[in-house]
Amino acid sequence: MLSNEDYNAAVKVENLHKDFGQLKVLQGISTNIKHGEVVAIIGPSGSGKSTFLRCMNLLEMPTAGKIYIQGADITAPKTDIMKVRQNIGMVFQHFHLFPHMTVLKNVMYAPVKVKKVTKETARREGMELLEKVGLSQKANAYPAQLSGGQKQRVAIARSLAMKPDIMLFDEPTSALDPEMVNEVLEVMKDLTKTGITMAIVTHEMGFAREVANRILFLDQGQLAEDSPPREFFSNPKCDRAKQFLEKML
Amino acid sequence: MKILAMPTRRWLFFILFCVAFLLATFFGDVSRVIAQQGNARQKLVMVTSADYPPYEFRDTASGKGDIIGFDVDIAKYITNQLGYDLEIKDTDFSGIIPALQSGRADFAMAGMTPTEERKKNVDFSDIYYEAKNTIVTRKGSNLKTPEDLAGKKVGVQLGSTQEKTAKEFKNVQLVALNKTGDLVQEVKARRIDAAVIEDTIARGFIANNPDLQFTTIPSKPEEAGSAIAFPKNSRLVNDFNRVLAEMKQSGEIERLIKKWFENQGKTAPATSSNVLPFAKIAPRIPFILQGILVTLQFTAISLFCGFIWGTILSLFKISSNKFLFWFGTVYTSIFRGTPLLLQIALVYYATPQLTGYNIPALLAGVITFTLNSGAYVSETIRAGILAIDKGQREAALSLGIPYRPMMADIILPQAFKNILPALVNETIALLKDSSLVSVIGVTDLLRRAQIVGAEQYIYFEPLLFAGAIYYVMVMVLTWSGYVIERRLQRSS
Repeated sequence: MLSNEDYNAAVKVENLHKDFGQLKVLQGISTNIKHGEVVAIIGPSGSGKSTFLRCMNLLEMPTAGKIYIQGADITAPKTDIMKVRQNIGMVFQHFHLFPHMTVLKNVMYAPVKVKKVTKETARREGMELLEKVGLSQKANAYPAQLSGGQKQRVAIARSLAMKPDIMLFDEPTSALDPEMVNEVLEVMKDLTKTGITMAIVTHEMGFAREVANRILFLDQGQLAEDSPPREFFSNPKCDRAKQFLEKML
Repeated sequence: MKILAMPTRRWLFFILFCVAFLLATFFGDVSRVIAQQGNARQKLVMVTSADYPPYEFRDTASGKGDIIGFDVDIAKYITNQLGYDLEIKDTDFSGIIPALQSGRADFAMAGMTPTEERKKNVDFSDIYYEAKNTIVTRKGSNLKTPEDLAGKKVGVQLGSTQEKTAKEFKNVQLVALNKTGDLVQEVKARRIDAAVIEDTIARGFIANNPDLQFTTIPSKPEEAGSAIAFPKNSRLVNDFNRVLAEMKQSGEIERLIKKWFENQGKTAPATSSNVLPFAKIAPRIPFILQGILVTLQFTAISLFCGFIWGTILSLFKISSNKFLFWFGTVYTSIFRGTPLLLQIALVYYATPQLTGYNIPALLAGVITFTLNSGAYVSETIRAGILAIDKGQREAALSLGIPYRPMMADIILPQAFKNILPALVNETIALLKDSSLVSVIGVTDLLRRAQIVGAEQYIYFEPLLFAGAIYYVMVMVLTWSGYVIERRLQRSS
């Protein structure tokens, strides 16, 4: 039985395991992400952060455990995962824009094709989103003509075009030149004010401290610490988090 | 170039329009054939191998390339007397008996001799003309009798009575080729010492090739007489024999023999110079050029259908469905593992026997090439799909885009762009391979060149001419591929 609190959770993860062959990447993670919460997932490389994130929209199939999105068990066999994914946006480290479509087409494509929104509406809303990420003047450019930061902002707009309740960010600034990191972080910061639920895998500690409600610290496939940012960064509970923070800061 | 400035979508429309046009003209042909089959009661189909003047050959001088000759006149006379219309179909000589057996034709005339072996497979009329066999050699050779040929290389036409006759010569090394023209060329090239050829044919070649000579050899009538062939138990045999007898009595046969055999070789005067006599084919060039349309039409339709089929196959091969995967894999291995020539012959000759549908040669060719090209293209496309960054797929999945639109709008367009050079290659290969349909009698570019060669008793010139045309077409293709590639690169 799910409690009232579970229904309030945007994402509920129960004892999540994921193996890649012999390699046990996730070893029993359980947590809740509330509606409107911004969660930063941090940890050393190889700790399973990305895999954890990718399980939440089933880009990776969990080996064991359950994931509930807004109360529905998406690991159940009869789940229409396509439907679920329409409600979960994802932003990748390497953007993955569609290179043969213009910026505006990238943003418009899924609403028109999947949600059957009319082209006029999709165009109008697409332009509004591009305006928000500061790229309306690039609407007719192709991805190859954009800088990395611009590409990532378009990718965010593309995800938002589906009007998801939840956004997943998989190291969104790791592939960017340092001077472009901020423009993407600014867009994400604006996004936190809209009340959308966000899970962000990141190495930007300053950003995590500033915008996240909670820090999930993963180590060796386990949730080693789950605390508010102020507590985590000033007084981490576990030794591994301490060591990690010493290296990072 | 205005056309190149069109946006992608209009390009697609343009290409679709061209294909639709080609399909329309093509199926127009097919439906006409089918329509003709509808009133088959009044029409008899004769099959022949129109590369054997003066028995049967293409009238290339008129530009239309109608099949004419001694046999054709007899066939016209008989069918007319019996109250039928006549339709003539052209094929390779070795394809004549299969055509009768598969019900593709009602009778065959091709200067054919009723040998015992052939009689096992088809019925024959009475003999209407007795030719003699000759030994054709280079001038100055002293190979004049079958005995002289002992230990020599001797050429014959594959499946001909001369082949059977020559098999009885002692100690002869036989070389069987498809066309009489090939034999003559081999003699000239000194690759064989002599060729056994029927006298009427030999006379024409000698008149046009001053470096050759021939000697008539004695033969039994059943070895060199020509008769009309029918499918086994055909009811037409008696009727034909009756009219043949009338023709012999009335002197009609004699008149036709005079008409066709006595002028033999005089139509095209021999040149004494050693320079390749291109002048000889000059009046026939329009006839050859018409083959370009056939070749292009054939290539375009096969390419289009093969591309669509190849795309479907490639999706099978990357499918997680076991059945589709194995189907795609086994299909590809079969079509890549057997010769195209064999596939054409099977589709063309087996379809009527298996289904009763008398498949037109051009359609059989298109189907075979579609099936074959699909196998090759599917591998290219598969590689193209696998080369796409898997992030593209994940991005589409994360947006909730279903499989079909993901493939159609996101993965395949990128894959096609990457494999364009390989597809241009495939197109070029297809264009050149299209010449293989000439074996089932489609009058494409190569076939027309061969027809002119047969009619003019020359060899290299029409082939060189056709080769030059193929080359130009391939160059145009290569260039177009380059332009399209440049255009597509602009977006990345």
